[in-house]
This record gives sequence, structure tokens and C-alpha cells, in this order.
Amino acid sequence: MNEFTWTNFAKIASSTLSQMLGTATPVALAALGGLMTEHAGIMNIGMDGMILMGAFVAAAVSYYLASAALGILAAMVFGIVIGLFFALFTVKLRSDEFIIGCALNTFAMGITAYLSRSLFGSDGIRGAAYLHNIHIPLIKDIPFLDNVISGHSLFVYLTWVLVILMWLFVYRTPTGFWIRASGESPETLRTAGKDPEKMKWVASILCGVFCGLAGAHLSLGKLNGTFVEGMSDSRGYIAFACVIFGAAHPGKVYLAALMFGFFSALGLQLQGIISSDLTEAIPYVITIIMMVYVVVSGQRRREHLAKQQLKKLELK
Amino acid sequence: MKKRFDYGYLIALVISLSVALLIGAGIIAITGRSPLRAYGALIDGVFSSWRHIGDTLEYAMVLCLCGLACDVGSRAGIFNVGGEGQLLLGALVASRIGTLMDGVTPWLAIPCAILGAVAVGGFYAFIPGILKVKLKVNEVITTIMMNSIAVFLCVYFAKGPWKNSVNAEGIIVPEAYRFTTLIRSSNLSTAIIISAVLTFLVWYILQKTTKGYEMRLTGDNPRFARFAGIKADRLVIAAMVVSGMMCGLVGMFRVYGAERIFKTTAVSNEYYFEGLMVAMIAQYQPLPTIIISLIFAILKIGAMGMQSVGVPIQIYWILQTVVIFCMAGEKGIRAAIRKAREKRAAERDVLARREGGTANE
Repeated sequence: MNEFTWTNFAKIASSTLSQMLGTATPVALAALGGLMTEHAGIMNIGMDGMILMGAFVAAAVSYYLASAALGILAAMVFGIVIGLFFALFTVKLRSDEFIIGCALNTFAMGITAYLSRSLFGSDGIRGAAYLHNIHIPLIKDIPFLDNVISGHSLFVYLTWVLVILMWLFVYRTPTGFWIRASGESPETLRTAGKDPEKMKWVASILCGVFCGLAGAHLSLGKLNGTFVEGMSDSRGYIAFACVIFGAAHPGKVYLAALMFGFFSALGLQLQGIISSDLTEAIPYVITIIMMVYVVVSGQRRREHLAKQQLKKLELK
Repeated sequence: MKKRFDYGYLIALVISLSVALLIGAGIIAITGRSPLRAYGALIDGVFSSWRHIGDTLEYAMVLCLCGLACDVGSRAGIFNVGGEGQLLLGALVASRIGTLMDGVTPWLAIPCAILGAVAVGGFYAFIPGILKVKLKVNEVITTIMMNSIAVFLCVYFAKGPWKNSVNAEGIIVPEAYRFTTLIRSSNLSTAIIISAVLTFLVWYILQKTTKGYEMRLTGDNPRFARFAGIKADRLVIAAMVVSGMMCGLVGMFRVYGAERIFKTTAVSNEYYFEGLMVAMIAQYQPLPTIIISLIFAILKIGAMGMQSVGVPIQIYWILQTVVIFCMAGEKGIRAAIRKAREKRAAERDVLARREGGTANE
């Protein structure tokens, strides 16, 4: 360990924060999709598989057509297909969403590894056209912020925009309202003349698109045009945890993703002092505690309300 | 309650398997290999040598026990998704106990390892169980989180403080404590005898005893069960703990019977999830669980044989998940077909009446 100086500290802090942004982004992108299905009342475990397939499609298309933009587009289109597929089973055929999610993950592992081995050999895809990192002109000159904010792939900045757009969509548009209603109280929505199933389809498709984006970011943004087997590395599960942690609110979900990113970056920095395997487990523990807290406080609130109602009745 | 044998279910299973094999053949053909040769290699890969038959049986045993563990939970209305974590921690603790007791007679060490694995698995299932019953926290989500935690813990302990092998990152179990191998150089060990007994016990308890009936009652309608005088809360937690104990035991079997060394991904590569999917397409019934475990095990070991003709082993996951997709959609598809048929019948009825009506006028 070097001697402690503020410049050293700033260097470590900025690289930690920069890594945090980098690791949080794919998770956040997928989680933005996952919160749609969560609002629509579908428990979506299958995000991991969606990300993996998105990553593969993006890398493969970008490899053959030598264009990162087309790769990303293909991943998004493929996301729509996967979303349709997911909705076909969970909404239309009323299968167990957990099983479908699980199976989707395994299927994605199988098909991507199978195709990448038989089409590209055992190394996976390498040397696809990729997105270059962006150095933001103004921030580039600010010493600390430059290291943290500047020099990421386009997706990092895109995610910020998408978080805001998502918030607007979920809480400020009729469609977002209907999607939330389709999960909370489908019967009410049906009475209001909207088909809750249709809303679930929409949510599922959106989730597929976002997971496709997350995958495209992994292969074309983060890893500079490579696809490796199993590269989603259970980010789908982390995204799911983020959705739960952030109570499906876009801003909070993004913060949750940042928290996961922070702990994993911290783990990398603290290597040698404490194993990164332990620091990376922390967010999961926090998520469980958070869930318990949310559920218990919800019950308390309801009990409190009920007691007040009771008191009112007694007074009468 | 005796259920008539459901032929529709059997037909659906056969159709799903055929669809999976057809899709698999398509994928194999697209990537430029001969499907016939590939499936020939699949059969060859399983039945050509005793060793592979042994491996197949061992894998079927793992899937079956995991599936049954899931059955036990779901019967009482709690969905144990955390089996992966319980299995891994059970294996971890069992192998640690093995290394600590090195030198002690196996007659003492093996029961201790079993006890340790079972206790850890049970405890790891107890946490989500009590959270579900007392606080109504969704057990699926907590167990998923706990799986990830368990994986991190196992990787940490196997790589770090508990590592006892020089070149491999893992915990080696002393030679003397390993289960006797039944078929030479295969993974099949005497653990399968214990598993068979356990399977029978689970089947017996679930299908033939009052406890099993009470569990089903609780799973179907917890409020009714409570009114009927069943201590539903306690039963649900107990079912979850038993489920976790079984998973812990599977972990111990994996290390002492097959792998001989604790390495996180080798002990279980999401095997519990496969077992869970087996349980689901077996509709949480013990007997179909055994059969489907065997089918999946044949596919898995056969896929290894398919590598010899140049088909990547991952074809197994594709075949398996297609079966699962088909079986998961089966109910919905059947309902859709029935609906369409009823609709057609109703239309015909209306038409007939209308014609009848005009004739009357």
C-alpha cells in the first residue's frame, strides 16, 4: 500500500467511481426494462438470458456487417422478439413465469454458446465493430470529474437519459399508468375498458428491448466488440435485485444499480485486504434486509390505518 | 384420493420431447452437422459403456433429489428456489468437516459430514421460510438473493481460508471418507442407495401419510387448513427446512460421491434449477419426477458423447429448455385448443338453432 496522500486518494476514488458507473450501466439498463415487467405484475427472472442473447446478437451482427450501430439495432429488434416470446408464455399461455424465466436463462446460455462455438470457434466473437469511448469536451478539463464521468461508452450517458424518459413514461403517460394498473389491479383496468393482457405484452416487449440494449452495451460498449460465453455473468439477477430494491421506481432503481456497481468496484480496489467475493455479496444482503423492511413497514402502515379507521367508528 | 393416470400428460411429454429433438436436429443441421449422426452419438454416449450409464444414473439422482426437495416445499405452498445455495453450502460445510476430521474413523466422520450438510441446508432454508411465514416476505426473491450470497461465500472459502489443495482451487475430501464407487471410474457411488431410500420416503410421506395430506391442504388453501386445525405456519416452515436439508444432502453427495473435491462450479452448475424445472414439468408429483430426471440425465450425458461428432455440448441446454417450454405451455395450449373447440361447437349450435328456427317458422 502506498503512503496516504490526497492525490492518491483522489486517484483511487475517481477510478472506483468510474468503475462504479461502468459496472452499474448494463445492470441499470436491464433493470429499467425489468421494472416495466415488475409494474405489470410479471416476475421476470429471465433478464439474464435476454441480456446474454442481446449481447450475442449485437456482437454477431456487428461482426458481419462491421457496424456497431446496426449491431445495437439488431439487439433491440431481437429484444422485441424475445419480449414477445416471453409474453407468449407468461401472459397468453399463463405458464409459471418463474419457470419460463429460468428456462429462458438456460436456453440463452445454450443457444449463444452453441452458436458462437459452431460459427466462431471456441474463443467466441472477437473484433466486431464497437463503440468508442466518449470524452466529453467541457468535463474533460475538470481534473477529478474527468476521470469519473468522461471516457465511458455512449451507453453510460444514454442510460441517464433513459432513466428520465422511463420515469416520465411510467408516471406521466397514460400507457405507463395502464401498465402499472395491469399489475396492481387488472380487474379495475378491465373495467376501465383497457385490456390488462395487452399492457403486459407491452411491458414485456419493452423489457426485452432494454435487456437487448444492456447486452449490446456489454459486448459492443464495455468489452469492445467481443462476445464470451456466459458474459452476462448473472447481471440479470442483479438487475432483478435492483428492481426489487428500488421498488420499481426508475430513479431508485438506477441508484440501486449504482450501489451494486460501487460494491463491486470497491471489491476490486480492496483486493488483497478483503476478498472481492465478500464485498460483492453485500448488496444482496442489503437487498434482503431492504425487502423485509419494505414489507414490514407496509404492514405497519396498513395496520396503523386500520386502527385509525376503527377509532373513528368507535367515536361515532 | 386416487388419481386416474393422466394419458394427456404422457402424450404431452412425448410430444414435447419430439419437438425438442426436432428443433435440436434443425439447429444441428443449420450449423452443418448431420442430426442423425449426432443423435446416434447421443445414444452411444450413454449406453456404450458402463461408466457412462453410471454417470447418467448419478446425474439423474441429483436432479431427482433436487426435484423432490422442490416438491416437498411446493406441496406445502412454499416455493424453494434457494436450493442452489443450500446445496452449495451443504457441500462446502461437509467437505470442511471432512478435512477437519481427517484421520477419524469414517463411521464417525461421514455421519458428521452428513449432519453438517443437512443442518446448514436446513438453516439456510429456514431463514426465507420464517420470513415468509412471519413477515410475508416473498420467498422466491429472498431465496434468489440468498443463492447469490451462497455462491460468493463458497467461492471465497474454497479459494481462501479453507483451501487445502495446492494447484486446484478447492477443498479435497480425504480418500477414506469417499463413498464407494459402484461402477469403476464413473460418478455413481453408494450415495444412490441412500437416495433411493430417501426418494421412497418422500414419495411415501407425500402420498400416503396424513402429514402429506395436511401439507397438500396447506398448499392448496392455507386458510382452510388453519380452520381445519392444522398448524399451517409450522408445517410450511418445516416443509421448507426439510427441502433445504435435502438440498444440503445432495451437496454432500456431490462432493463425497462424485467430485471428491469441493469446487463451486463443479459441485453444482445450477443443478438445482434443473431439478426445479424437472419438478415443475412433473407437476410436483414424485413418480414423474424420477422419470423426467432420467430423461434429462440421458440427454446431458449423451450430449457429452455428441461432442465426438463435433456438436457443442450446449445442445443439451437447448433440448432441455425446449422440453420445458413445451411442457410449461402445455396447459395453456390445451386450454386454447379446448376453447377453440368449444367456440366452434357453440357456433355450430347457434347455426343449427337458427336453421331450426327458420324451419319452424
